[in-house]
Amino acid sequence: MKKNITWLFAAALLILLFSACIKDTDFNETIQLTPVVELNLIHFNLDAGEFYDEATATPILTVRDTTELRFLEESTIQESVTKAEFYYKFTNSISRDFLIDFQFLNEANDTTYTTQALVSQGSIASPVLSEHFDTLEGDPLLQLFEASKLVLHVTISSSDENVVGNLNMQSKTTYYLEF
Amino acid sequence: MRGLVLTITALLAITVFAQNKQLIYGVEEIPQSLMLNPGINVTQRMHIGVPFLSQFHLNAGSSGVSVYDIFGKSNVDINTRIRNKIFEMKNTDFFTATQQLEFFNFGWRSKKEIYFSGGIYQEVDFILYFPRDLAILGWEGNRDYIDYEFDLGELNTTGDLLTVYHFGANKRISKKLTAGVRMKLYSSMFSFRSTRNSGTFVTRLGDGTNNIYEHTVENVDVTVETSGFASLTELDGASQITNKILGRAFFGGNFGLGVDIGASYDIKDNWNVSASVLDLGAIFHTKDVESYHASGTYTLDGIELIFPPLSAGQSTFPYYEDLEDEIEREVPIDTLYNSYTQMRPVKIHTGLTYKFGRFIGNDDCNCKNEGGGIETNQSVGLQLYSIFRPKAPQMAGTLFYYRRWTDYLSTKATYTIDSYSYSNVGLGIVADIGKFNVYIAADNLMRYGNLAKAKSVSLQLGFNIKFDEK
Repeated sequence: MKKNITWLFAAALLILLFSACIKDTDFNETIQLTPVVELNLIHFNLDAGEFYDEATATPILTVRDTTELRFLEESTIQESVTKAEFYYKFTNSISRDFLIDFQFLNEANDTTYTTQALVSQGSIASPVLSEHFDTLEGDPLLQLFEASKLVLHVTISSSDENVVGNLNMQSKTTYYLEF
Repeated sequence: MRGLVLTITALLAITVFAQNKQLIYGVEEIPQSLMLNPGINVTQRMHIGVPFLSQFHLNAGSSGVSVYDIFGKSNVDINTRIRNKIFEMKNTDFFTATQQLEFFNFGWRSKKEIYFSGGIYQEVDFILYFPRDLAILGWEGNRDYIDYEFDLGELNTTGDLLTVYHFGANKRISKKLTAGVRMKLYSSMFSFRSTRNSGTFVTRLGDGTNNIYEHTVENVDVTVETSGFASLTELDGASQITNKILGRAFFGGNFGLGVDIGASYDIKDNWNVSASVLDLGAIFHTKDVESYHASGTYTLDGIELIFPPLSAGQSTFPYYEDLEDEIEREVPIDTLYNSYTQMRPVKIHTGLTYKFGRFIGNDDCNCKNEGGGIETNQSVGLQLYSIFRPKAPQMAGTLFYYRRWTDYLSTKATYTIDSYSYSNVGLGIVADIGKFNVYIAADNLMRYGNLAKAKSVSLQLGFNIKFDEK
């Protein structure tokens, strides 16, 4: 009788333990992290004097500068970014229009992607705001990711020694990621 | 034998455990109850645990979320469910994994009536507090959190893999009082901790002078300490790493010392109170130590182009490299090799027992007690358990009913309230079949119908050979 009680208890607990199960679950659903990251890109502040060489008394119609953007080559970024929105904001107090060329280059200095922004003329008393949006998905995004540097060409419509003011650019990128 | 050890270790490695063993505490028939209170009343003359099988303890724990919460069948998209959970959980919620595997355990009563016991067990102890802000940042990104200060100090985790060598003594000091002490030598195979962190990350709209945003890490002070890790990174493949770690199990790692103390006191015939403090000690990490420390404040504005006038062949400034250098200078990540001391997570058990029912013993001879508390076949009581964790102690309260059905069969039922749930019912059975002692205990039984809904699950199983008093 006593032994029976032992086995009864042990059997009851074991049955309970072995009947333990995991149910009403679905482990096949896809978990997707989709963070949206806002990040500063480049910025500059160009004085009107940069577009005129006083020594030779000649206008300089285009100034350019280059920076590496090595993070574009990172494989984790390339694999996870599904869309990139570039936003460029120009504040112009120079009484001239500008054309801004963004030229993305790879290591061999071949152009992989370009975009262009128009900046309207302003005045010192009332600077004018111009904005440029560039949304990249699919192939253009892949082209961008082949690049590792950016060359910026800033072209003024015309220039002389009387041109005054300032051209300011600020920019950011919104990256839509998917893991 | 090594294959067996590897298999068992591997099996245990994929399950997680918690330290509260409320079903074993105070059950004198189980020799391993001495590991929870070295000062309990020991009834046997000698015991030997069956090697590798004397204690098998298993529990899964997460205070804020169950498997079902995430993977349960539902009309709501899984990603929405995860998002909801991230926002629902607090930074004091945690995930724990503690596991113990006893290699062997033995004990005997000396001529001077001292019960000596010793053994070796291996332990894994891991806790990760839920870093809520980092989870939000990872899940959502920063776009919708402009001006929100993400708290980097929420990163709080420790992990240990160690072997414990222990030897203890237990003696009935008076008719009412039994006390015991256990010395422990820790051999740490692998350890990491990151518990004292601070700092914030915030994206604010710029004031117009530089760029659109200001991405600022402010007063960052983040430290990750590791020991037994650096030498593993040089190894190739999982088998080499496993062999290296197992090689440290026997006096190959960093050492530490600790002590367990405990006592049991019969207040009146029917009432007994007991308490123990376990793992009061520290591990001294001196070998194979590598720590990383990041500190500083920095605001990222992006890259500012200067448009320098260049002659043919001249190149412009290395803006990108300069930016990388600036970040490394302002928020340096130092690698340190300083020794550090790590306190063990101290555990405290207390118990209050009321005994009733029929007397146990030979007819009217109350031989076992000699004037102390009586031995009866039933008892009820209250147990409290607390383990010191980096942020705060985790506590559990248990109500129990114990019944000895026959000389060789006892059961204990428990109802426990802890960080995981308010409805944890457990049952333990211990049987002495001849000299063979076997026990099995499991808690959260109400969840066994669907383990996915449980926030913690535990199972303990063990085999010993016991020699009772003549």
